[in-house]
Formats: sequence, structure tokens, C-alpha cells
Amino acid sequence: MTDQSGLSRAQVFLLYFVLTAAIASGIAIFSSASTITEMLQTATDGLFLPILLSLIAAFLLDPLVQFFEGEKIGRTGSIFIVYFLISMLILLLLLSIGSPNWEGMMQALKADFPRYFGRAIEYLNGLLMKAQEHFPFVKDYDLPEKMRQSAETFLGLILIHTPKSAMRIGSLFLLVPLFSFFFLRDSRRLMRGLISLTPNRYFEMVLDIYDHVSWQLTHFIRGRILEALIIGIVVWMGLSLTDIRYAPILGVVAGVTNLVPYIGPIIGMIPGLLIALVDLGMGGQFWWILCVYLLIAQVILDNFILIPILISRVSNLHPLLVILAIVMGGKLYGVLGMIIGVPIVSIINIIILEIRQYRRTFSPHTQIISERNKVT
Amino acid sequence: MNPFWSNIFRGSGYEDTLAYFLSTVPVFSKLKKRELNFLETIVHVRNYQKDEVIFEEGDIGSGMYAIRSGQVVIYTRDEHDRETEETVLESGDFFGEVALTASRPRIASARTTEQTVLVGLFRSDMLEAVRKHPAGAANILLGLTRVISDRLHHSQILIHELKRQQTGSDREHNQS
Repeated sequence: MTDQSGLSRAQVFLLYFVLTAAIASGIAIFSSASTITEMLQTATDGLFLPILLSLIAAFLLDPLVQFFEGEKIGRTGSIFIVYFLISMLILLLLLSIGSPNWEGMMQALKADFPRYFGRAIEYLNGLLMKAQEHFPFVKDYDLPEKMRQSAETFLGLILIHTPKSAMRIGSLFLLVPLFSFFFLRDSRRLMRGLISLTPNRYFEMVLDIYDHVSWQLTHFIRGRILEALIIGIVVWMGLSLTDIRYAPILGVVAGVTNLVPYIGPIIGMIPGLLIALVDLGMGGQFWWILCVYLLIAQVILDNFILIPILISRVSNLHPLLVILAIVMGGKLYGVLGMIIGVPIVSIINIIILEIRQYRRTFSPHTQIISERNKVT
Repeated sequence: MNPFWSNIFRGSGYEDTLAYFLSTVPVFSKLKKRELNFLETIVHVRNYQKDEVIFEEGDIGSGMYAIRSGQVVIYTRDEHDRETEETVLESGDFFGEVALTASRPRIASARTTEQTVLVGLFRSDMLEAVRKHPAGAANILLGLTRVISDRLHHSQILIHELKRQQTGSDREHNQS
């Protein structure tokens, strides 16, 4: 340490210059930060979804890759084997069953959507009429008109985005396998590189905590995705037993919305019930569909079988936290944000729980040592 | 030899590689080259400044260190915070190996005395290695077991010796 008071005039001058330059550049960076973030946003605009999907794919494929990886076959080789097997499987499925006619279904749905919504609004109108007879003060509230407006804007949004998204899906087919290949191959090296940045003193602790957290996270994410997949398939199967149309799309909707706890399943079954109500009426088939959604998919499969097996109780979130996560996610990224908001909050929750657990588990040891030192 | 030819046949500098260094550490001395190359991918190389604390007594250990270059002093503290130097380790030595198999609090502290490069092998990486490359991991763990059982054997003999001295001195005490 040099003596602080012993600065020469030249040093003071230099210090003054450095500080001024630092402040000036700080202000410049701050003012240009908004343009920089804007640029970043434009640059990463279309990348969010492919990266998310390839991360999911990497998480799902990792156990398979580990299965093939061994003394003889390296990691890259085993990734190629897994890719080959999966493409074979998809090809086989396409050849044997034939692809479900997604495009036709989308077109039909686009045509049918106003019809379904019109029916729903009609039904709602009838309900409102009845309500107004009993409670006159509801009259001022023009609910059906509001709903019609929002439905029309929603439909417009879908119509505008479809051609764009067709191109985007094409690029997804290219990008997702590529990204997930690198995620699978280099994720370990990447994480090791990141961890090696920690200061020496905390290195062991960080490494240990990382190990615990990553174990928990892999199980949580894999469990969630498998759960959504199974629920989607079961709903698809259950619905295709009836005469309802769009069973595959409804299955996908049910699976994806199932990622959001508490609220997701309810929202996921609204379109199915709506279509059933309009097309099939209040018959036995409607009750069967309700039964598929509620009893089979949610109560029996999800609550009694999947959640206990796939997802540990540790990662349960408080309902209030779930709602907050959905609202905030929706503000940030729209519908996609609503779906992934809750998993991300659960991930943060798991990290915090693990760190706390780590500290609690190991604090007695340190106490013993310090007490031993006191005694001896 | 002609310097021209010796330049060509100097070898690929294998002696400078991490794998060669690991083969000189007693724990890993019996490993084959293939296993050494594998070991190279799971260890962490850490750079330390002079007088930097590596771990303190009571910290939760999660692995062992081998000294690639530099010097490390192992010490304990008594109740008045006075340090007692236990041993000084040079390059090629290793320490902290007990923590590799189970998380135990460290029983002594370690500090560098000069600029030091350490090679750390940690439990989480070892567990992953056991899953992915059972044979290689088994050889590494066998080497570790060999070193630890050597040490156990040594201390057993020491205890025996001490006991004999104790009983001898007791007998003398009783006779007098």
C-alpha cells in the first residue's frame, strides 16, 4: 500500500482525468444502453423459441445419449446414434400411420372458430337475459359485445401470424436439431467453464451446490415435459373415441397448458368443452369428454400417478406465487411467457431450496469443529 | 545427436501435459494412458496467488488437490488462533483426498506460500465418472484406496508401537 497523502501533482492530475473520463463514458454508456438493448432485442427476436425448444429437446434426449455413451462410443457418436434412431422412429410413424392432417385441421379451425365463438356468445347472451330478469343492475354491463371484440382481435392476430409462423416452423426444423446437438455435446464443458470463473475460496461450495441443483432441475424439467406429453396423448386418445373434431389439436392444447399448475388444466379444457357443446350438444359424449378431461387426465393420471412419480413434492409452489408468475410472464412474453413463467419460477425456487438445504446440512459440522476448538 | 534431428525427434512435449503430470501423482500412478486422458477431462486446474487460503478447517470438503507447481502449507489452529504448521507440500504432492468419497469437514487448513497451480478432483465429477466410465473411475478409486489403506496401515503400526512403549513405561512405573 502506498501512502495516500504522498500523491504528486502529476498523479492528482492523472486521477482527475481518469475520473472525468470514467464519468463521461459512464453517462455515454447509460444513454446508449437503450439503443443497445433494442438492438439486442431485434437480434435475438426469433431465437427465443428455437433455443427454448432445443433446450427442452436436449433435456429429454440426455438420458438416451447417456445410455449409449460409454467406453467405446464417445458422446458425439452417441448423440448421432440417438438422432438416427429418432429420425427412423418418426419416419416409421409417418409411414405406418400417415401424418395427421395438421394443415387441413388448422384451416378448418380457422373457418370454424367464428362459428364456435358466435355460438358461445349466443349462449352467454341467453344466460345474461335470464340474469337480467333477476338482477336488473347487470344491464349496463355489455359483456357479450366486449367478448366479441376481443375474440375478433384474437382471430385477426392468428390470421396475421400464420404465414409468418409457417416460415418460422420451417426454420425450427432446421435450428432445433442443430442447437440441441450442441447443447447435448457441449453443455458440460460450458457449465465447467462458467463454474471455473468462481473465486478459489468458494469454488468447492459452488461446485457442490451446482451438482445438487442440476440434479434436481433435470428431474423437474424432464418430469414436467413427460407429464405434459402423457396428458396430451391421453386426452387425444380419450377424445378420439368420441365424434369430436380436432382431437389432436385439443390434446396438444391440454398438454401444453398442463405445464401451468392449478389454472392451466382448466384453461386447457375450455376449448374442448366449447367445441363439444357446439358440435355434439349436451349428450352422453359431452359428459364423456368432461370425464376425460377432469377425471381421467387430471385426477387419476396427473394427481395419483404422474406427479408422485415424476415430480417431487419439494418443488411445489404456493398458489399465489403461481398466479404472480403467470401474470408477470404474460407481461413479458405474452402467451408463451404465461406458459413458461411458472416452470422458471419453480426452477428459481429449487435453486433457493437447494442452497438453503446445503447450508443447513453442513452447518452442524462447522459448529462441531468450532466447539471442539473451544474445548481443547 | 545433430541438433537438427534432435529438434525433430524431441517428442510432442508429453512431459508438459496435464496427463503426464497426473501420472506422477501417487494416487494415479497405476492408471493407463487412456484413463489418464479421461481423468484430464474431469479435473479442474486452479491458479492461486501467494498466501491464498485453499480451504479452512471446518469447511465442507468436496475433493482432493494435487500440486502441479508451487508450495502449500497445511496448518491447524488452536483455541487462541495460533497456527501450528503441520506440513509443507511441494509440487507432485496431494492433499484433501479423504473428502473425495464423502463430504466431511476439513480437519486442517491449507494455504499457498507462493504462486501455485493446483489440480482439483471433486466428488461431483467423480460420481459422474462412475456413471459414465465405470472402469476408468474404478481404477482411479482403487488408486485412492491403495494410498489411503497404506496410510491406515502405517498409522496402525505407529499405534502399535506407541502402545508397546506405553505398556513398557507403565511396567517400569509399577516396578519403581
